[in-house]
Amino acid sequence: MANIAMRAGAPQEAPRRAFIHSDRFQRTAFIAPTCIFLALLTIWPFIYSVYLSLHAVKLTAMKRAVFVGANNYINLLSDPLFLRAMVNTGMLAVTSITCEIVIAFVIAKAFVSLSHLKWLNGLRSLFMLPMMVTPLIVGMIFSYVFNPVLGIANYLLGGVGLGPVPWFGDTTAAMISILLINIWQWTPFMMLLIMAGLLSIRSDLYEAARVDGAKWHHVLTLLEIPSIKGIVLLGVILRIIDTLRFFDVVYVTTRGGPGDSTMVLTLYAYQQNFQFFQAGVGSAAAVIILVISMVITTFAVRLLRRIEND
Amino acid sequence: MLHAKLIGSISAMAMLSAPAALAQDIDWKAQLGEHSGKTLRVMTITDPFIDSIKAVKDGFTDVTGAKIEVDGYGYDALHEKELLACSQNDGSYDVMLIDGIWIGEFAEAGCLDPVEEKIAENPDLYAWDDFTPAAAGQASWEGQRVCLPVGIYYELMYYRTDLFEQAGRKVPETFEELKDAAAFFTNNKDFPDVYGYAMNNKRGAAAGQQWFEWIYSAGGKPWVSNDIGSAEPYKDQTPLFNSQESVDLVQLFRDMVAYGPPGVESFAWDERANAFAAGKLAMINDWSVRAQIANDPKQSQIAGKFKAALMPHKDGGKTITPVGGWVACVNTHGAQKDAAWDFLKWFASKPVHRDFVLAGGPPSRLSAMEDKDIQAKFPWTSVLLEGQKDSWAEVRPRHSIAFQLIDTVGAHVNKAIIGELSAKDAMDAANTDVTKLLQDNGQL
Repeated sequence: MANIAMRAGAPQEAPRRAFIHSDRFQRTAFIAPTCIFLALLTIWPFIYSVYLSLHAVKLTAMKRAVFVGANNYINLLSDPLFLRAMVNTGMLAVTSITCEIVIAFVIAKAFVSLSHLKWLNGLRSLFMLPMMVTPLIVGMIFSYVFNPVLGIANYLLGGVGLGPVPWFGDTTAAMISILLINIWQWTPFMMLLIMAGLLSIRSDLYEAARVDGAKWHHVLTLLEIPSIKGIVLLGVILRIIDTLRFFDVVYVTTRGGPGDSTMVLTLYAYQQNFQFFQAGVGSAAAVIILVISMVITTFAVRLLRRIEND
Repeated sequence: MLHAKLIGSISAMAMLSAPAALAQDIDWKAQLGEHSGKTLRVMTITDPFIDSIKAVKDGFTDVTGAKIEVDGYGYDALHEKELLACSQNDGSYDVMLIDGIWIGEFAEAGCLDPVEEKIAENPDLYAWDDFTPAAAGQASWEGQRVCLPVGIYYELMYYRTDLFEQAGRKVPETFEELKDAAAFFTNNKDFPDVYGYAMNNKRGAAAGQQWFEWIYSAGGKPWVSNDIGSAEPYKDQTPLFNSQESVDLVQLFRDMVAYGPPGVESFAWDERANAFAAGKLAMINDWSVRAQIANDPKQSQIAGKFKAALMPHKDGGKTITPVGGWVACVNTHGAQKDAAWDFLKWFASKPVHRDFVLAGGPPSRLSAMEDKDIQAKFPWTSVLLEGQKDSWAEVRPRHSIAFQLIDTVGAHVNKAIIGELSAKDAMDAANTDVTKLLQDNGQL
């Protein structure tokens, strides 16, 4: 009987071996771990967040979750504080990234123009330091720097005869302070990208422009900007995503105040989730932030592709 | 009020009749188990008293063999970490020090093992009645003693004795006198670089807690049934944030901005205490534990140059001294609960509490507040003893949405402070938002 079984099994080995060695199986086998990893660490939490966002539930009493449909979303989109957080985040992104690009371009251009000076390499590395510091630490440093009584900022202003500034105590000053901190930290990142873009422009193109009698603004608008716009857009996409996640500095310095002047989306979501433990509302806020990120990123990536094709 | 007085009288009687067994010579070997090889983890706030815990903890190791690890976190981080951990059945921390106002939230999350039975087993050693009445209230929830009130603070007003003596002014007792004194010291050429007063104005918990700390001394109350001494303070939580007393109080907060340093609108606990310690302020109100900062010559330029007084009150009213601070609880999910209970029994006892206070910890027991050595070392202790007589454990809400409620109030109070809204409009908005919050969470 055993021999019969073995004989019957023998012909089945061949197709099984063929299947194992097939391209289809191997592709699947190699991709599977990544898919499982993504499913467990990305897709499942997202699905769970969506599930929570449809319930009235506190993180401390999960068993008492009550299904409320889209109520959390409706409440959020009619909550003046959440809407203010959206506006603040948008304003922070536009203003901050615009300033970063302009400042970064000027500095990158200076570094490229003076690249023959060896000692500048060290300065360039030093210039990268702010973006290497953890944002939470940046927030703490600036909360000391901008301390109205004991901070060095007001001390220096006093040294040149200027009065103290309520850096985080006034609605306009607080937003400008947050912007300054953000720009200080992330301009080096943008500069790095722009410098890479500028260095990739062939020197003969500059030579040709010079021979053609091009002025500096012609070189800027007709040669440099078109050459770096792809890489700048990539930087903009990354910075927009970063700004949508912008949290630490605001958390440490202003907690969204004074008033609601520096409230941002992530701080709002954090407060709902981890200070008030309102997991339903907090998850709905997180889902909205994710949707906004996806829409902006999709739009920006399409734009990037179009630029690359051009 | 009657309730509070009754508790006070009982406490005093209990103190007088305290048995001799509660003196320094407690036989700890007999009282505590053997826990060699164990390490108890304690999670607490990074307030100045964390060093006082570290200063005395080895005494427990000497008796039981168990080591004590103390981890400190900032206020918000501690709330988040403790509540997230214990609500997810995490027992990695054996003892948690929680703010008394979080107790309803932690009870709802099923985090705490009540201390009630332990006290019944050994009432003399726990000496519950020796805790100040408001401290005992902070550690209790829904009629049950849940934790041990080992790190209780009272809010006092601190003033610079050198400046007041130079100016020949009396210490303010009423809101009007406070404004007058603060105005006097601000931009006064005789007192250069000094401002009158700084309050907790920062958006959120800072401004919110300030409102609750002051409202009773302003003649108001936060919700309908929260009368001082009430047996059922949460019976009717209809909010009263836009009462005339509340609006007048918030207007006072707004008026006081003029007498603070530039940027005082963004001040919270640390900024206020640091500016006072740096000699930039004539007066502040602050939790008693932070008087240590101002009294430490290494950290302060005004050590020995300040005194404490009761907080000011509305003209014709009286000061209700705000109470707060930390209660020590056993994590219900901890794996070493026997050792944790032993640690709390030891740490909260009268003699160890005395050592803890002498090492800089906040006095939470009447016996500690009356101790002559402690009074000599920390002169503001006698003011604490006076202030605790008129205090009320429910001065701030302590139910499961207290944190969110206080933050909501603080957001609106801050808008009035920075002048974005009038005091009336801000507190109308606060009342509306809190009403909705309470309704959404089934409290109203």
